[in-house]
Amino acid sequence: MSLRARIRDGDPSAFEELFDAYAGSVYGYAFRHCADRTEAEDITSMTFLEVWRLRGRIDPDGGSLRPWLLGIAVNVARNTRRAARRYQDALARMPREDRVPDFADDVAGRIDDAERIAAVRRAYAALRRPEQEVLALVLWSGLDYAETAEALGVPVGTVKSRLSRARGKLEKLAAHREPAAPSRQERGDRDTAVRSAKEACR
Amino acid sequence: MNADERDEHTRLLPHPVVPPLTPDRHRQLKEFMMTEIRNEARPTGWRRLRPAVVVPALAAAAAAAVAVPLLLGGTAAHAVAEQADGTFRITINEANDPKGLQEELREAGLNAVVDYVPQGKRCSPQPRSTGYLPNEEADLVSIATDGNEPAYIVDPSVVKPGQTAVLEFNVTTAGENTMASVFGRVSTGPVAECELVDSDEAPLGPLPTG
Repeated sequence: MSLRARIRDGDPSAFEELFDAYAGSVYGYAFRHCADRTEAEDITSMTFLEVWRLRGRIDPDGGSLRPWLLGIAVNVARNTRRAARRYQDALARMPREDRVPDFADDVAGRIDDAERIAAVRRAYAALRRPEQEVLALVLWSGLDYAETAEALGVPVGTVKSRLSRARGKLEKLAAHREPAAPSRQERGDRDTAVRSAKEACR
Repeated sequence: MNADERDEHTRLLPHPVVPPLTPDRHRQLKEFMMTEIRNEARPTGWRRLRPAVVVPALAAAAAAAVAVPLLLGGTAAHAVAEQADGTFRITINEANDPKGLQEELREAGLNAVVDYVPQGKRCSPQPRSTGYLPNEEADLVSIATDGNEPAYIVDPSVVKPGQTAVLEFNVTTAGENTMASVFGRVSTGPVAECELVDSDEAPLGPLPTG
């Protein structure tokens, strides 16, 4: 029996396989969207709880479940508060990790990392949410147009037009970007990046 | 997107650095998820706790229609089980196969006409029969009250030879609640085919008169 059919039938071991295969993808999407590890873990957990709740909707025939799964992650990230209300009991039981909340401590050891992160966040934040979602799925999660359309529940043409709009905006941004002195970018930009990133989750 | 386009986009918006989900953390989260879903699978899980809320849009049809939460899960669009007292227990997973349900009921000996009416539609004509028996005389459909999963109970004994059980189903989503509603009456005469027409009235059954 296929993984799809087994999950649809409520087989916990199939769910475990799905988690092993795709928790990283979902977490990656969530982190790129929020730039916050705790938020990303919450979104990952809520996405898989949603998968379990909605498993009856899985078509037993079909390809990889990844587009469908990322589509759920997009919805959860879009409506974090609503999902958190539904799963507030579960989230309260979720084991927490002791760590410094600023992710930049882990990954931005070098100044150019911090600058790069800040630049990406600024560009991403300049896009409208539908454009962000398409870009994140196509560019960062590596879905093709058809898979992105499946994940977002929109026609392929819409994926292409959103991508093209996003590209236009990014090109404009790149053209207007002033070559700032590295020494001035370090501190302030990192703070801004983290703050705007968290807002993107809400 | 071809490789060049992807490169071009990546130049404009590079991949953000994602701190990895460490194997330890992955395992912790997985154990948490597995505990959660196993707890949910027990009978005390979400199904029993889920309140049976009748959505406001159905209020106008309340006299005619009864509603139960739609069950998501399981494999079949619907299931019909004959019970010891001769009634049928019907559970609906997806209201997308009315004629399949109709066939099953007919095979089980109930002369039924089943239609699915999406939100924003109604059957035309309404009423589809000039000879509906009042509910007090022929109580065809009720909601199961035995504490198991939400289900309809259809009583075939109220449908006499030559009569027809008319069932119209509708599915509504309001916020996080998905409801299946049903109109069920016994017709003593011929039953008109349901032609779906646009409507902003309650979708099921004849409109309340007066």
